[in-house]
Amino acid sequence: MKNRYERNIGTVSPQEQELLKQRSVCVIGCGGLGGGVIEGLSRLGVGRLTIVDGDVFDVSNLNRQVLSSEKNIGMLKADEGRRQISEINSEVEVTSICAFYTEENSRDIIRGHDVVVDALDNIASRKLLEDACEQENIPLVHGAIAGWHGQLAVIMPGDRLIHTLYDGDENYGVEKETGNPSFTPAVVGALQVAETLKLLLGREGVLANKLLTVDILQQQYEIIDFGE
Amino acid sequence: MKITIALKGTLRKLFDCYDDIVVEVPDNCTCDEALQAAGINYKETRNFGFVSVNNKRVMIDSRLNDGDYLKAFSRVSGG
Repeated sequence: MKNRYERNIGTVSPQEQELLKQRSVCVIGCGGLGGGVIEGLSRLGVGRLTIVDGDVFDVSNLNRQVLSSEKNIGMLKADEGRRQISEINSEVEVTSICAFYTEENSRDIIRGHDVVVDALDNIASRKLLEDACEQENIPLVHGAIAGWHGQLAVIMPGDRLIHTLYDGDENYGVEKETGNPSFTPAVVGALQVAETLKLLLGREGVLANKLLTVDILQQQYEIIDFGE
Repeated sequence: MKITIALKGTLRKLFDCYDDIVVEVPDNCTCDEALQAAGINYKETRNFGFVSVNNKRVMIDSRLNDGDYLKAFSRVSGG
């Protein structure tokens, strides 16, 4: 389609738009955050996406997960994501991996990608992912949400933001009490797409080794420095 | 020395503390001790996350200086 990316131009240059076709991103998790991230990256025109989730859609996902619908309850999230991307942008090469992220597959899944996106929902897997990204030398875009609140960070290989942030043994946060509404994954997922784009294009202003905390209730946005 | 404390996220409601608190604490006081001095018994909550001082991540046993701004955040991990 000739004019598909016409409205990207100005935000990115024509040369950068071409460059995106050669770039690859691995998105771990196809739920609230992941669904929005996958859609955003495919509309931007990232050339190759690997999307990973071992779960199926449930009725309780309908309030916030943009890949879910009443028609795909019980279907595999990653396969559904691949099908929906093919309808949005058939120029994107999509690989769906219908498996949970584990110690055994942690490095193989992400290997060879330019950027990895953390759209997971538990701390143990996030720590595994940070380790794997360090070992594979790939930048990681972290996002997490709980109720009215969220957070975002870019972790360059060797930075240990996730291990420093979550320094206890707990596997979950306050989201088990607050739930997650539609708007919080939309906000944080969109910010993850923007940070991923900057990394893919080598742009300035990446949120490296800093945590952006998002309070949508108070409309307060703060940056916490995780450097030495 | 004087420390200013702010609770963030769900901690505000949990501890019914919506405004900055200024507390007088001894020199070399830690973040843990300053929170306790302010009546914030953060160990009671399962979802306490992390602390920052002057917008820099520090550990709960890090020592404070006069005029520091200590913020406490809840743990967020949903996706």
